[in-house]
Amino acid sequence: MTATAADVALTKGRTGDPFSSAWRRRLPLLPALLFVIVITQLPFIISIYYSFTDLKDKTQSLIPEPTRFVGFENYRQIFSDPFFREAMWTSVKMTVLSVVLSLVLGTLFALLLDRKFLGRGLIRTLLITPFLLMPVVAALIWKQQMFSSLFGILNKGLNVLGFGSVAFISDHPLASIVTVLVWQWTPFMMLIVLAGLQSQPGEVIEAANVDGASSFGIFRQLTLPHLRRYLELGALLGSIYIVQAFDAIDVMTGGGPGSTNVPYYVYQESIGGGFRYGSASAYAIVVVIFSILIATFALRLLSSLFKDEGRL
Amino acid sequence: MTEEHQRGSRLSVGDRRAVVIGLGALAWLVALLWVFPIGWTVFTSFKTEQDASAQTLHHGLSFGRYGDVTESTTGTLSLQTAFTNSVVVVLVSTFIVLLLAIPAAYALSIRPIHKWRDVLFFFISTKFLPIVASIFPIYVYAQRWNLIGTRTSLIVLYIAINLPLAIWMLHSFFKEVPRELIEAAELDGTNLLNQLRTVILPIVAPGIAATALLCVIFAWNEYFYALQLNFANGSTMPQWVTSNVSTRGNFLAKLSAAAVLACLPVVIAGWAAQKRMIRGLSMGALK
Amino acid sequence: MHEAPERVRRLKGLVVPVVVGAAVVAATFATTAAGKSEAKTISVAIVANGQMQDIAKLTPTLFTAKTGIKVKYTILDEGKLRQVTTRDVGSGGKAFDAVMIGPYEAPQFGSAGLLVDLTSQAKASKAYNYNDLIPAVRNALSAKGHMYASPFYGESSFLMYRKDLLAKAGIKMPLHPTWQQVAATARKIKTSSMAGICLRGKPGWGDLGAAFTTVLNTFGGTWWSAKSNGEPDKAQVDQPAFKQALDFYAKLVQDAGEKDAANSSYNECLTQYQAGKVAMWYDATVAAGFLEASDSPVKGKNGFAFAPHYKTSSTGWLWTWALAIPKSSPDPASAWEYISWATGPQYLKAAGSRVTGGWASIPPGTRFSTYKIPQYKTAAKAFAATTLAAMRAAPITNPGTTKRPGLPGVQYVGIPEFQDVGNRCTQLFSAVIAGSLDSSRALSQCQQIASKAIK
Repeated sequence: MTATAADVALTKGRTGDPFSSAWRRRLPLLPALLFVIVITQLPFIISIYYSFTDLKDKTQSLIPEPTRFVGFENYRQIFSDPFFREAMWTSVKMTVLSVVLSLVLGTLFALLLDRKFLGRGLIRTLLITPFLLMPVVAALIWKQQMFSSLFGILNKGLNVLGFGSVAFISDHPLASIVTVLVWQWTPFMMLIVLAGLQSQPGEVIEAANVDGASSFGIFRQLTLPHLRRYLELGALLGSIYIVQAFDAIDVMTGGGPGSTNVPYYVYQESIGGGFRYGSASAYAIVVVIFSILIATFALRLLSSLFKDEGRL
Repeated sequence: MTEEHQRGSRLSVGDRRAVVIGLGALAWLVALLWVFPIGWTVFTSFKTEQDASAQTLHHGLSFGRYGDVTESTTGTLSLQTAFTNSVVVVLVSTFIVLLLAIPAAYALSIRPIHKWRDVLFFFISTKFLPIVASIFPIYVYAQRWNLIGTRTSLIVLYIAINLPLAIWMLHSFFKEVPRELIEAAELDGTNLLNQLRTVILPIVAPGIAATALLCVIFAWNEYFYALQLNFANGSTMPQWVTSNVSTRGNFLAKLSAAAVLACLPVVIAGWAAQKRMIRGLSMGALK
Repeated sequence: MHEAPERVRRLKGLVVPVVVGAAVVAATFATTAAGKSEAKTISVAIVANGQMQDIAKLTPTLFTAKTGIKVKYTILDEGKLRQVTTRDVGSGGKAFDAVMIGPYEAPQFGSAGLLVDLTSQAKASKAYNYNDLIPAVRNALSAKGHMYASPFYGESSFLMYRKDLLAKAGIKMPLHPTWQQVAATARKIKTSSMAGICLRGKPGWGDLGAAFTTVLNTFGGTWWSAKSNGEPDKAQVDQPAFKQALDFYAKLVQDAGEKDAANSSYNECLTQYQAGKVAMWYDATVAAGFLEASDSPVKGKNGFAFAPHYKTSSTGWLWTWALAIPKSSPDPASAWEYISWATGPQYLKAAGSRVTGGWASIPPGTRFSTYKIPQYKTAAKAFAATTLAAMRAAPITNPGTTKRPGLPGVQYVGIPEFQDVGNRCTQLFSAVIAGSLDSSRALSQCQQIASKAIK
């Protein structure tokens, strides 16, 4: 009933009359949209322009060289760059591992916190603290206090138990970084899942209990489907931020085989030492294209987040 | 919607005392292990440098390192300057984010425009460009317009990086406002602003609080843009923390003290607002 | 929904103060933009070392009070400082009046015309005393006879060892040891709880890169061969001498070196040496000041020898942190006044009695006059002479057995491409040291990187 009215309203609006319904709908969106377009798309377009040149910092040549237009040369180089492929693979591993692990741990923590017991609020408070720290600080804490092979707590503990020291960061760079990322993001996932759990009506569970359903069965059949949206939201937001992870790598390993992800690789190419802005821009554009492809696939086809019909 | 559910049996292990206490104890253990690194860092911040790097405790504990990091030398970045900059940048950017995101979310949820999915996707896609790549064009123009070292550049950039998240979250909260209320308001002839004020905002207030908190967290902890665009008196807290890192000599205790001080405001805000955050996220946000 | 009115009231109550607060805050920030209207303030970017922190503390009393020029310091760690200064200098930014750079950047930026030539001002100032500067240091910061940066702090490298432990094992370390002697000593003296030697292993052209390149030089290897005009010709990473040097270095660290070497640089080795976990240490001369400090657990137990050599006679590196004025500096005149004070002999004399570390921690290695100050001679007795000799002997124009491309340098190659190549290759070499990468693979990958960089 209302749907039909809405459809009619929409059709009416599309005829372009400036005070029509469609434009009145768009108006509240415009300030935010314009702001984002100006601030994010301008650098993007400039980056596209740079990617067709050989722009580098003036300090990189002893005699001043003018910037030349090089066409697709930068892009051609990308596809023959084995280190970039390695960085992409590392990005995939790092992101997938971190997101999945923090989702799983976050869900477990949320389930643990779902029932009342003494000090539940305090525990929840403690658990979310890692998410509130600066990523640089979190990485430094783990690097100097926990993982350090000389004086780190983990190694001290291993030694006390009779085991030899493990050089965590040098021998297992990716695992070390994933550890820090999971440590920071699990609380975020936990909050989202907690929200999901609390929004599930208790009566349904009780009814299932009365019917004699097993706890695992309840979880699988009732809770998990309800949580699906929340898990997807957590995975989406987490992925967006974790794929850009930078500070942890900079602080803990400074790059290096096994822990350089794509943002860090692009950084090394541009202001991190290479100062080749043209080539770095080309890498960035390739990354954006890839991300859009993956995100389109994931969001439009797989996720249920976009499946609501519009309202009114 | 009931607040604290008397839900005992999601896991259906029953309410037997032993189990409840067992799970409670497990939760305590997990929490303490999880925050152990933070606790250890706080502990380290009271040690001397030699004790800190060797993980011993020969020289006792004191507030000495806190004194060291907060004493301000004229001409170097002081805690007060960094703190003020951070507070201004974070509050102003978050305020403007909300100002822009609330109407935008309205336009994507309650009276959605035709292509709301595409617009949402566009907003999210602005986060795909690695900021390490866009920094050079941004730097060049910030320099041209004399914005290097000012708070303005950071405010503008932080709005841009938080707006997509805010719009996304707010749009899903707005979706939960019951249709009947909106329709009733429209039948009454109230305009958009009043609709927002009297009907919508009160309902999604926890969601707005949750969004604001996330924006504050991300803006306060942002390091890359701040480092590349702001120096000396324009620096923010993350830069102040890392100014205690030295390549020649031990710094672990001082760094721990600085880290504790720098993270404290956001940690306190997070602690205070966590309940609201969960409430906000759970406002049937994604039924 | 009887809660709604309450919530609305609470919300309304919040709205007004929030809006007012935000407006006040916005007004505040709008009116305090860059604040450059004060009289004579200069902006200086420096690195976060102890000596630099000291001068930042002393600037108000020793400089601003006398000249009226205020100094705003931006203190960054080495890596970030390089990025920020390179970008600022390269893009003509006005953020800094003076920047702290090293002998890698100074001749390059100077040749590219991005820095103010300091030679005439330096020579004209009697107080500055141009001829007091140690020539090797001065030349490292110059190109074609023009000095582009003024040295504040200088270091070379040498070998530090526990003479008590070596004596107990019946080993006497010669003053000019060879690498083979040092390696044999390290392997002999190590125990299960103490490594024989601490060598840098952390990736970075200034970390592992510095130590390794000195070894590479003296093994007869080089990064690139040179054309007659000084430009790089071909990458030489695939040559036998390079492999020999890398294998020697990696094997020594693996056999007798510190634990977790791939993560160790100056700081880590210092901690371990002071804790008695390593018996020898090849690193910067400035470490000696810490080892012989009054609160050092190993005070008085240290011997110092020149940097080990093999096919060349002297191998110690040369590094200085120096102050330069970018051409785009807003106030070059005040910048020079500051620089001539900060790097002049008077500061060194005044600092000794004022800094927390005492005389042994004033900036070393830049001027002859430092080594004539009586208090310094006493405080630094154990290592001052060796340090000065090492600085003077640093072979910056001819560090190896073959001609180098680019501008002078010992532990780096004086071409702009080296920074990136050095960073990426040392990451591979660090993995070799950690045992997770085979050295032949690392070398072939590095050869690719080095060849591509100079195309």
